[in-house]
Amino acid sequence: MSTATTQPERETKPMTKRLVQGNEAVLLGAIRAGASFFAGYPISPSSEILAQASVYAASHPEFRFIQEEDEIASANAILGGSLAGAKSFTATSGPGFSLMQEAIGYGHKVGIPCVIVNVMRVGPATGMPTMPGQGDLNQARYGSTGDYTSMVFYPSTVAECYEYAIQAFNAAEESRTPVILLSDAFLGHLNEVADLDAIKVKVVPRTMEPLASGGTRLFSGVATYADGEPATADADEYIRQYEEAKKHRLEVAERYAFYEYGWNKESDTLVIAFGITRRVAQPLAPHFALFRPIRIWPTLDKELGAIAGRYKKIIVIEGSDGQYANVVERMLFRRVERVPLLGGRMSLEAIREGLDRIGLLPSEPTASGAESPASVGAESPAPAGSRAVGGSSVP
Amino acid sequence: MAVKDKLKTHLFPTIWCPGCGIGLIMQQLASVMDDLGLDKTNTVLVTGIGCTGRMGAYMNFESVYTLHGRTLPVAEAIKMVRPELNVIVVSGDGDLASIGGNHLLHSIRRNPNITVLCNNNEIYGLTGGQTGPTTPMGTNTISSPAGAAYTPLNLQGVVNTNPNAFYARTTVYHQGPMRKAIKEAIGWPGFSFIDIASQCIENNGRRIGFGSAYEMLEHYKTEYKPGPRDATRLEPHQLGIVKGEPATAAGAAPSGDGHGE
Repeated sequence: MSTATTQPERETKPMTKRLVQGNEAVLLGAIRAGASFFAGYPISPSSEILAQASVYAASHPEFRFIQEEDEIASANAILGGSLAGAKSFTATSGPGFSLMQEAIGYGHKVGIPCVIVNVMRVGPATGMPTMPGQGDLNQARYGSTGDYTSMVFYPSTVAECYEYAIQAFNAAEESRTPVILLSDAFLGHLNEVADLDAIKVKVVPRTMEPLASGGTRLFSGVATYADGEPATADADEYIRQYEEAKKHRLEVAERYAFYEYGWNKESDTLVIAFGITRRVAQPLAPHFALFRPIRIWPTLDKELGAIAGRYKKIIVIEGSDGQYANVVERMLFRRVERVPLLGGRMSLEAIREGLDRIGLLPSEPTASGAESPASVGAESPAPAGSRAVGGSSVP
Repeated sequence: MAVKDKLKTHLFPTIWCPGCGIGLIMQQLASVMDDLGLDKTNTVLVTGIGCTGRMGAYMNFESVYTLHGRTLPVAEAIKMVRPELNVIVVSGDGDLASIGGNHLLHSIRRNPNITVLCNNNEIYGLTGGQTGPTTPMGTNTISSPAGAAYTPLNLQGVVNTNPNAFYARTTVYHQGPMRKAIKEAIGWPGFSFIDIASQCIENNGRRIGFGSAYEMLEHYKTEYKPGPRDATRLEPHQLGIVKGEPATAAGAAPSGDGHGE
């Protein structure tokens, strides 16, 4: 960012490739999306976002930064900051994400656009602070009390961290909800060569009237009628408000149905992997088709449903003990094979062991084409859209 | 403008019990706001959970009715993003000092220019009368049948951990001192906290021997006395304002310089 601001002439040059870290890309994406308020609390492996936000704020007074006393304060602060008119965000990891859940529910109840970045590590509890995990999928969907409609994205590359940070803010503004951007310890700390300036995503402007616009609105976590009177025992009113919000949020989510479909589509087996796991699984490309959900929630029922029928077997490779596999089984009403990568063991070796356990290890050696995930960057997937992409990386 | 214009009187009667002290705070706050020219274009209310939290719903301002205990991070964020606004927090002792206690400690430390009105009724009223953080030791409540076991939180001491802070103590009986405290607090260039002793007759007073809200007000009248002018510390049941040094531009201070001691 300093390059762009101190040497503006470079902005016009087509190639601005440089090494970017996943966490840095998230921050840059947020800034590109127009974020102007960050509240956070240090926690590995997300802390670079906090630290770099503070550095950015020091030279950009219009960008407000606060390091809070805890993640409860952080999450509540971005609710206040957003209501006051600033596109607001925070970044955290597992335990901090747990502490933020009540505020996330408040944001859903009241309808407050904001973005929560969760750079996942291995839980539960303090767990394995510097090891990558993917075990917060359910928490990202169901972590707060009651019913609500979550939108959650999970990129796979550093460039995508930038791209989907912008999309997360866009989705938040459109849906007026807290949107979750998932990352993980591996992706957050991954350095890849990326040309972020080449990524063009239209930014959705803020349309919600900020506080003190002359009205007398009551923003209430308590169920209320339009005039602010309590509606705490009126089921009809609750259902009316709930259904209206759900309908709107699902309609918005339709416009953000990001996924990738590729690899060897002629295979009889479909691998489902997302986030960093999809990168680690890259050497399996000759043997399997790939479906990678980028919008984790709401689930891509229609999109996956149209693809899954072509495959005899489905394998879900993920960094949890079946959180997404369970979701896929529910989506498709069919059994899937599972390769859980636990304890932060996100390696091709661990995937091969997992495939071997379920008798689905490809007979040809995959190791010859194996690359470490960091070097896969050169053939990172093209920016995905709501259309299927991929297939080009098959050697 | 008039005081009445600050209130959504069409929503009256309020949910508060007959005899509740909160209305006396709301009335005085509305009156001061009217005097100072605070209106819905320049002022935001942030309220917590508990009986007091409902106040935002009854006033003609934009109001954020936060989660339990979370008024301060929300208020501070609003002030950061919109420094031109007056941000006024109204909540109870349980919300601010117990579940929100950590935020209170740290908001005070950061000294944002916000004003906090604490309806201190020494009880969890809305949930039926459980022991709160400011319940005097020995008080019989529905969660301390043998008497509250612990020392109540010293709100004055907590607030004054920051030498720049503003702490005022008043009661709902003492409308003059309350008015003065609210007025000065809103004008104070930093964190200001008004600790307002207030009666909860239904879920506290009767259990501890008061026959009516009137008796509780009479109790405030006889028990609370003005503290000395320019007091640096108020004794229990003393009315008054303890003001620190108004904050100046923050400079880098090495650790161990005694700041905050």
